[in-house]
Amino acid sequence: MVKVLTQEHAYKHPWERVTSAFWRKFTDPENKQILTHILEVDTLNRTIDPESGKLYTMRAITIHARGPWFIRKLLGQDICHCIETVIVDARSQSMQLTSHNISFQRFVEVDERIFYNPHPGNPREWTCCRQETSINIKPLAALASIKDKVEQQLVEKTLQNSAKGRDVMERICRYLEADSSRISI
Amino acid sequence: MSSKEKKTPSSTSPCAQLRAAYHDCFNRWYSEKFMKGQWDKDECANHWQKYRDCLSQHLEDKHLRRFLEAESGQIDGAATGRNIRE
Repeated sequence: MVKVLTQEHAYKHPWERVTSAFWRKFTDPENKQILTHILEVDTLNRTIDPESGKLYTMRAITIHARGPWFIRKLLGQDICHCIETVIVDARSQSMQLTSHNISFQRFVEVDERIFYNPHPGNPREWTCCRQETSINIKPLAALASIKDKVEQQLVEKTLQNSAKGRDVMERICRYLEADSSRISI
Repeated sequence: MSSKEKKTPSSTSPCAQLRAAYHDCFNRWYSEKFMKGQWDKDECANHWQKYRDCLSQHLEDKHLRRFLEAESGQIDGAATGRNIRE
């Protein structure tokens, strides 16, 4: 049984600024104190399709998979690698992101899709972020007795990490907004 | 399952400085050029090459190494679903 979480958030900032903030979320050093679950972010590949102008990026995100002792015992390690792919279409103003874990796939598959588009209510000044997370815990005998606890942990972590990520994005957006005002004076 | 891995804080990653230089260049290019429809010139090619060369030497995880060589078509395919199993 797959658990699906859906979250939506409206940034009161234009799409260009929000997507710029997205790229800075993991790369600006001051965010590390908040996003403590993120250990490493590496860009593995990046290309632009010269005809469509679409920007394709693949990143490796290494996460500290903290959990109670029974999860650590089961997994054997607390480092989880994820692969994230991002497609940005500047012409149609869409950013689409998918990520999934490549560590621990034997036990659980967490797939995330995130969409950033101009907000339908105010497309020039606001951006809508829609996030869908699916959590699929494998039907292994070793997990049978703790499946519900593991799922609950993952749901809580997802919600916590998303909230932290949004706070960081909002802060970066405010900084970029202030910066652009200074430049125009 | 990947083999035993040391937890490596990003400040001691051997590619950390080259990575930071590349990401800074990309972030500027993205806001100042790409968002304004100017994507014909690859302004960060130099930074990217140095960073990639470092990753090629130091990226230990074999699953991640596979993605290092992916073409854009594979990036698009990967975006629609997981296609790598451990």
